[in-house]
Amino acid sequence: MIMQNISELEEKSAYIIRETKEKFENVAALWSGGKDSTAMIMIARRAFLGKVPFPVIHIDNGIDFPETYKFRDDLAKKWNLNLIVAKSRIKPELSGFSCCGSNKTDALKEVMKEHGFDALIVSIRRDEHGIRAKERYFSPRDTEFKWNYKDQPAELWNNYSSKMDTKGHVRVHPILDWNEIDIWQYTLKMKVPVNPLYYSSNGYRYRSLGCTHCTVPVKSNARSVKQIMDELKVTETEERAGREQDKEKAYVMEKLRALGYM
Amino acid sequence: MDIKRVTLLGNKDHGKSTLIGSLLIATKSATKQRIDEAKKVSMKLGRDFEPGFILDSFEEEREGGLTIDTTRAQITYRDAAFEFIDVPGHEELIGNMISGASYGDFAVLMVSAKGGEGVTEQTRRHLVLAKLLGIRRVVVAVNKMDMVAYKKERFEAIVESVQEFCMNVGFEPGSVVFVPVSAYNADNLVKRSMHIRWYRGKPLMELIYEAASARKKGNRGLRLLFQGTIKSGRKTLYTGKIVNGRLRRGQRILVMPLGKNAVVSSLYVKGKEIGSASEGNNVALEMPGTHATRGCIGFEPESNPRCGTVFEAMVFSVGRIPKKVQLRMNGSEFMADVSVFGEIDLKSGKIKEANSIKPLGTGKAKIRLSRSVVIESAAECPEMGRFLLYDSGKFAGIGVIG
Ligand SMILES: Nc1nc2c(ncn2[C@@H]2O[C@H](COP(=O)(O)OP(=O)(O)O)[C@@H](O)[C@H]2O)c(=O)[nH]1
Repeated sequence: MIMQNISELEEKSAYIIRETKEKFENVAALWSGGKDSTAMIMIARRAFLGKVPFPVIHIDNGIDFPETYKFRDDLAKKWNLNLIVAKSRIKPELSGFSCCGSNKTDALKEVMKEHGFDALIVSIRRDEHGIRAKERYFSPRDTEFKWNYKDQPAELWNNYSSKMDTKGHVRVHPILDWNEIDIWQYTLKMKVPVNPLYYSSNGYRYRSLGCTHCTVPVKSNARSVKQIMDELKVTETEERAGREQDKEKAYVMEKLRALGYM
Repeated sequence: MDIKRVTLLGNKDHGKSTLIGSLLIATKSATKQRIDEAKKVSMKLGRDFEPGFILDSFEEEREGGLTIDTTRAQITYRDAAFEFIDVPGHEELIGNMISGASYGDFAVLMVSAKGGEGVTEQTRRHLVLAKLLGIRRVVVAVNKMDMVAYKKERFEAIVESVQEFCMNVGFEPGSVVFVPVSAYNADNLVKRSMHIRWYRGKPLMELIYEAASARKKGNRGLRLLFQGTIKSGRKTLYTGKIVNGRLRRGQRILVMPLGKNAVVSSLYVKGKEIGSASEGNNVALEMPGTHATRGCIGFEPESNPRCGTVFEAMVFSVGRIPKKVQLRMNGSEFMADVSVFGEIDLKSGKIKEANSIKPLGTGKAKIRLSRSVVIESAAECPEMGRFLLYDSGKFAGIGVIG
């Protein structure tokens, strides 16, 4: 896995986050308590001189790990975040694709509508999954949250989609260019707090966090960010290998994204 | 490690995806899981192994055999990392292609040597666009050499045709280099191939490595693009990005097109107050007494920037560019009148007189804006001298000043 220059990556991300605040009226960010969205919030804090200038939304399906709830509440307090918890209803008869699709996406739709957000910052990365390679930094979604990946606006020379280009909202992806290992480099350097689920316990750790139903841990002895990075440098498996929904079919992610899943 | 961006151009089916797939394998940059998955999909579709499938992630893309949007793949070679940007060679999707290509500093062009393929109109269009997008160096991979029995004559015919076109389009002599390859068999990709003994040059990755190491030239003066404002406690600070030069706390700057001098009284980068910032930094700053707005540009006071409403530009047209358009440049939007006076002839690469630009064509135009801007040629400062055109909100083209 390639390590990039995190100082340059942070500059690009900071530009995109500031651009979002500049061009939209009502911005929010998704925050799962995972490493990516937590790093993104750190970047935003620095870009805005200490205070994150938009609310962060946690989509809570009620079956996240206890560690995640504690991590969320502690950090929200420490960083003085405006936290919005959007409760989703678990449908026990569903699992995998349809579970994530219906639970999380419905809850997100509701909270977006309630608050009238016109831009939503989502901390996805291109190296996570093939289809994410197709994403833009600013990606318009229609009122049904659908992503029309074949007809995306041109994005070049620091000119991005603005509100005028869509009747729905715009998804913003400030850390699209980061690799998994870059997030860890940054976490280490900036001392970003880490959800303890990422550290090994009894020979296993979580590499990517979903909810308790469909995330499985990977074999690992890493007990620090440094050790996580050492393991990643030689790994042969993909980051999301532990996620149930990704295994079902090669193009499940495509369907989820088109439905508005993050 | 810095990642060097490589834009991959070329006619559809000339082997771009295959090249990236083979490079991922040859440089051990793809995980076993991804390679296995690509093998499975090839089998499922009843084909021989297609290395390109490591890359193409959409199901429908594999079935249709067409790359829909830009795709990225990261490859490590020697002490460097390269990000390959695969752009669709499909004409209706050229808007997407421009988005991809604009991230590259130099380009790799695939030209298939297979009978009936060769240098096509799309190949030449990509070269014209590459020039417009500011790409200075091109490595041409003459591909599918295995299908023409690795014949030297076929390679040389393609070299000659591409070289002549490139000269006419305005590439510097020596900035376009050639290598015969087979993306499928990995000939001359990372190692010199035994199949092509008559070729004495370097393998593709080495040429790419050299093209990527060439130093960019440019002027060193301050260019600070103002982005907007942020609040910190009771203070309001200006935000901006330094695209060229350095900025110090206490420095006097000239804010254009306001024409005002101002002193930067405090300066922040990444949340910290600092004494000086440089190219690439997103800054926040205080500047008492001056109201800089989005689209303003900061210079050194002794510099003498040109401002005005009229300039000449090279323009690429996605569809048709009407006489009245919206123009976006440096974060601001303007109304603009466009009058075309020349178009590049795709057969020769030379400019001929014309008063309109055909769809997917490139031409020269005089542009008149609704209000005054800083006018700087893209050759001098690429970040500033380029713009996007919209027709009633729909993307219509791109252009560069100069
Ligand atoms: N024999 C041979 N076939 C090739 C070579 N490179 C690509 N191809 C085939 O040409 C077809 C188109 O290649 P692809 O990589 O999809 O082209 P793209 O549209 O430019 O991405 C595929 O069936 C490839 O297997 C090569 O070097 N030799």
